[in-house]
Amino acid sequence: MTVIVVTLGGMMVAAAIAVLFVRDLLSAIIITGFVSLSASVMFLLMDAPDVAITEASIGAVLATMIFLWGRGKIGEDR
Amino acid sequence: MIRTLTGLIIVLILGAVAAAVVPEMQMREELQGVGYSYASRGMDDTGSSNLVTAVIVAYRGLDTLGEVVVLFCASTAVVLILTLYPIGMKASEPSRVVAFTAKVLPAPILLFGVYFIAHSHISPGGGFPGGTVIASVFLLVMLGSSSVPDGKGRLSAIESLAGLSFGLLGFWGIMTVGQFLNNAFLGTGTPGTLVSGGLIPLISIAIGAKVASEFSGVFKAFRNTGGTV
Repeated sequence: MTVIVVTLGGMMVAAAIAVLFVRDLLSAIIITGFVSLSASVMFLLMDAPDVAITEASIGAVLATMIFLWGRGKIGEDR
Repeated sequence: MIRTLTGLIIVLILGAVAAAVVPEMQMREELQGVGYSYASRGMDDTGSSNLVTAVIVAYRGLDTLGEVVVLFCASTAVVLILTLYPIGMKASEPSRVVAFTAKVLPAPILLFGVYFIAHSHISPGGGFPGGTVIASVFLLVMLGSSSVPDGKGRLSAIESLAGLSFGLLGFWGIMTVGQFLNNAFLGTGTPGTLVSGGLIPLISIAIGAKVASEFSGVFKAFRNTGGTV
């Protein structure tokens, strides 16, 4: 249990830092989505399924999708 | 480069704050105060075996009403801006994988969303997540077709009706027992059964319909080049 939480937390921190350094906007969006999804798993491990559901549907799916569309609108030139 | 450094510094500051605060946090063995009251009396008071929903919809129903209003304002602003300044992203032809997925998956996902809303007082879930799941079905269907669907104002109609019915359910309490958003005047039923929890299932349906139509409207506005939501 603790091992899973620490591993997942470490991956989340690493991914969150990686968002700052990737060149590609698409990669940054996907990594942000991964952080959200990991957060949702973390909530589930901490016995908060309601929050996990909300995080997975809003943070990991809808927000990622809106970011992707925003990227499509502004184009690749940042 | 400066932007990256600024972000990194912000992350480090936040990390330092978290590192300072987290060790001070203590896990209490027992609930105290309001939390204890909710946990011990919640099921008897509301007839809802999911205490999270009981707190969100029954005990703190007024806050949820305010939250719904905030969400309404935010989505209205987004849709307004995107309608006034349509950027006109062309919907491209979906690939075969996406088109196939958009044909197969919507029905089970829709069922899942409806289950979240209908069972919000029994199992984890509720109006907000259920509504977003239903909105993601709308999103999937839209991704699978190259044309933007014409809502003919129906999304706005559903949104308004759902918001109105939340308010009216509150006023029902005033008319019967003299308390706004009273949960228990219909009887609370047996906890764990589908027809239980007083007004919680009805309010969940209203919230779910509202959230689903709002997010669908936002998605549609993102793809739209003009016209009604």
